[in-house]
Amino acid sequence: MAQRAVTAFAALSVAEHRVDAGYGVERAWGAILGGGASLRLGARVELGLRVQGGRLNAATPSAVDRDVGEVGVEAGVRAVPWLTFRVGAQRRTYSSVIARQGWTMVDVGAEVRLAFARGTISGVTRAALVPLVSVSGLPRPDVAVTAATGLQLRRRGLTLGALYSLERYDFPAQGAIPRVEQLAALTLRLDVGLGRR
Amino acid sequence: MKHLVLLLGLTGSVVPRLGAQSSTQDLLQQASAFYERLDVERALPLLRQIVSPNWPFEVTAAQRVDAYKYLGACLALVGKRDSATVYFRAAIERDPFADLDPAVFTPAQLRLFGEARRLTFAVAVRPVAPARVDPRTERLTFAVVTTHAGSVDIALRAVGSDSALSLFRGVNDGPREVAWDGLLADRHLAPPGRYELRVTGNSQLLRRADSAVIYFEIRHEVAPLEDTLPELTARDLLPEQFSRSAATRDLLRGLVVAGAALLISDVLASRHLGGSLKPGSAVIAGTAVVTGAVAFAGDRRHPDIPGNVVANAQRRAERAGQNAAIKGRNTAKTAATVLLVTPAAGVGP
Repeated sequence: MAQRAVTAFAALSVAEHRVDAGYGVERAWGAILGGGASLRLGARVELGLRVQGGRLNAATPSAVDRDVGEVGVEAGVRAVPWLTFRVGAQRRTYSSVIARQGWTMVDVGAEVRLAFARGTISGVTRAALVPLVSVSGLPRPDVAVTAATGLQLRRRGLTLGALYSLERYDFPAQGAIPRVEQLAALTLRLDVGLGRR
Repeated sequence: MKHLVLLLGLTGSVVPRLGAQSSTQDLLQQASAFYERLDVERALPLLRQIVSPNWPFEVTAAQRVDAYKYLGACLALVGKRDSATVYFRAAIERDPFADLDPAVFTPAQLRLFGEARRLTFAVAVRPVAPARVDPRTERLTFAVVTTHAGSVDIALRAVGSDSALSLFRGVNDGPREVAWDGLLADRHLAPPGRYELRVTGNSQLLRRADSAVIYFEIRHEVAPLEDTLPELTARDLLPEQFSRSAATRDLLRGLVVAGAALLISDVLASRHLGGSLKPGSAVIAGTAVVTGAVAFAGDRRHPDIPGNVVANAQRRAERAGQNAAIKGRNTAKTAATVLLVTPAAGVGP
């Protein structure tokens, strides 16, 4: 029987949201708190559930404050110790006094993990395409990619990671007005191993 | 046809009245029966036939010795003391172990036999019988005899070896049993091979010396021994030090992460939006560079990998412990070695 390992995590992100819908760049930023759990099945398969939410405060005159909430699931298959293929699905909601916008995304990508010699620190780099994106009130974006990189420090069942991530969505022009949207974040994440079965 | 007639004639002249009972043993039994009935006159011709060179049948050494003993005994009964002594000496010379049973023979015969022993000096040792000897609890026994008092040296040696183990040295008169514990002079178990037991003696009554030698083979019966575990190779052990290339790889890994952070924030991010939380990417890039540099320096200055050193030490200790146990079991098996002894014909096959 394959060995199972459960890991819970908590994350704190400083996120910056930028969007240009034809009225200039709107910028908002703030803190996002998140958490979740992952289940490792055997040596290769990993399933994950993630929930996060926070408030992004307007940083430009044209922007408005907004709340963001997200729930996502993810599956990964380790091909070799340093390479994992991942597929994920997220449902994200931006809420402001003006409107509420829902995002549904499915991404497919890979993660490269480079362990340093002493084994406690690893460098992590991820990249994914988001072939399925559904945004309420908007057409499918022409460009939808995500990427992230950072470091992880592992010690006695705890993993502390710092990750820089970026999501970019370029929507097709509507009435000659293109829309570009981007979410960047610097995330501090703590994983706690809950045991094996 | 001529040969057949000659053979029939010879047989008829040498063994008249024997009929079907013409073998040496039958004739010896017949002579013995005559002797028991004190019918010496009928026993003597039969016994003389057996020791005659013309006797056509095979005569074993034991049969010939018995014939000489009965001849001596018969002649002693009829008062021919000197002739009796001659035949007794003939028996003793052929088999120094030869003796007369006091329950069967008269004191006069025994005295003459003793006189024959004093006039004859010979030493002998019986061939060993096949035996299985556990040297811890058993002994291999050699039967040695001198016909009368003499200084005797009984020495055992491996064939071809110069060093001998003296089993007895002193005066001996008559039969003697010498026990051997299976050990050589160095107190180690006799190794497998061929051995000789040599008995030399000098008479204390006559100016005569004699010697006898027997050969035997020794083999070891020991339970199969276990092989010890082989030496640990590099494939069995973890690296105990970081290589220079490992240090360089750590530096490169840091640079890769830093480069990826800058690539994401500067290339993947939309230029149109004018920014992508660049301080965040700078933090990650800087941390990665510092981590790579620190790892590089650490790997170079302190290349030891303590965890691997401990793990390798444990593996070596486990192997040493297992080998010690194997050696202990092998020692116990070797200590229980049993000697298999078989008689041999000479120094070699």
